[in-house]
Amino acid sequence: MSHLEHVEELLESIGRSKLNAFITVDYEGARQQAQDADAGVLDGRLAGIPIAIKDAISTKGLRTTCASKMLEQYVPPYDAFVVKKLREEGAVIIGKTNMDEFSMGTSTETSCFGPCRNPWDLERVPGGSSGGSAAAVAAQEADIALGSDTGGSIRCPASFCGVVGLKPTYGRVSRNGLISYGNSMEQIGPIARTVEACAALFEVIAGYDPWDSTSRDAHVPHCGASLADELTGLEIGVPQDFFGEGVDPVVENATWEAIAVLESIGAHARETSMPNLKYALSAYYVQAMSEASSNLARYSGIIYGHRVQKDHDWHTTFSENRASGFGKEVKRRILLGTYALSAGYYDKYYLKARKARTLISRDFRRVFKQFDALIAPTMPYTAFKIGEKIEDPLSLYKVDINTVPINLANVPSLSVPCGRKGRLPIGMQIIGDQFNEQLLFNLAFQFEQQTDYQHAV
Amino acid sequence: MITKRDVEQIARLACIELDKEDMQAFTIQFNAILEYFEELEDIEAELTEQEEGNVLRADEVVPSLTQQEALANAPRVDNGYFKGPRIL
Repeated sequence: MSHLEHVEELLESIGRSKLNAFITVDYEGARQQAQDADAGVLDGRLAGIPIAIKDAISTKGLRTTCASKMLEQYVPPYDAFVVKKLREEGAVIIGKTNMDEFSMGTSTETSCFGPCRNPWDLERVPGGSSGGSAAAVAAQEADIALGSDTGGSIRCPASFCGVVGLKPTYGRVSRNGLISYGNSMEQIGPIARTVEACAALFEVIAGYDPWDSTSRDAHVPHCGASLADELTGLEIGVPQDFFGEGVDPVVENATWEAIAVLESIGAHARETSMPNLKYALSAYYVQAMSEASSNLARYSGIIYGHRVQKDHDWHTTFSENRASGFGKEVKRRILLGTYALSAGYYDKYYLKARKARTLISRDFRRVFKQFDALIAPTMPYTAFKIGEKIEDPLSLYKVDINTVPINLANVPSLSVPCGRKGRLPIGMQIIGDQFNEQLLFNLAFQFEQQTDYQHAV
Repeated sequence: MITKRDVEQIARLACIELDKEDMQAFTIQFNAILEYFEELEDIEAELTEQEEGNVLRADEVVPSLTQQEALANAPRVDNGYFKGPRIL
């Protein structure tokens, strides 16, 4: 099949889809790029491969909304660093995917373009915030995708949709062109149906970028070359803190069965504990909200973005633009962040959260002296129903209990399918020390070889 | 315990006008969320982790957006300028 024929198939299935995985589909651009790949004009490591990109990542000339009314008409004048890399390697950009507004959510229900649906059960959420990217890959509406992960936003939808997703080490992938939410914790990362495809996309987007001051100049290994390496003698830690109250026993069992599979091919597994993880959820939300209140202060509706018809004085105009441009969850986080940073509360909330982050990082450093990798359930349960949690924000925040510690510690984590509850996929995360993504792909690939959870919808 | 008046004050600081309904709902929700965050109060650690800090690159002049590109997304433009609300 030619690249163009493949792209036409995807465009057709997107047209028929009930998922609402895409906000913008670039029909013309995708066809042109596929033709160029067929003609041999496009070459590179991803030549002709159709990719979907989370709508929080800037694409030059292609509308980028962050699923917000605030940016409904915004067309970036530049490409994000990762998008430049994709173009250099010949990828075909098929469109921009649905997400929680400004990446704030765990269910892709807060999008101003309506919720995205889980391809395994249309009544359920795909996870979030990169729900459209994971759903599109699972339902074969794209071959691979990019998401971003501030507190689980790649791993959660990967887990709920039964695909592979990586949150890279902080500083591994440039954030240049990623619309900021919680800038000290977020990373762009790859989503794919197989570990091999996920590793290949990671290799393309990783690397130093002088335009992101938090980008690290670390060697990017050829992860694809070591996928089949033996696991013999590898030490795996299983922190009991990821199996706390609220974890579905079916998910817990699936994770332990997966660990047994890894043991059967040479790894050693042992339980451990990370007591400071109990602070992770609060520490994450206080910091993410504080950073959000600062990062989203730029949206005033003057230089770009949503603007109301009638002007008043500056303060009233800004306040009206922001009131009508932002959705409820974005407002909640900006307000709580403003509160947490305000005089009199900074020490009580923000400073304490920073200290908790120190303690959590220390826990990770300690366990990585004893273990090569850690394994834990990605999500406490399988995908929940649309509407089930959205009216109670705190209950929705608690869904992130197992994913947020990873962002606080700046370490990489790869979510892979490891079982099913009925039709619904279960995911486990393989967590590594900073800049050790190569080992995560190796472990995940070996696990994938032994199991059969990679069914497309 | 934060009150509706507190939420109103925060909304003013954050430049987001809230309607009555949101003000009511947010006050209840914020109290529940902030109560949850209170678990952080026990933490007595020092901030000893090394911060990445600012990494500065050389300040070199490189091509940037053209005036046309910079103005392309502005809701209101006048004679090559962004048009804001009146000051007086």
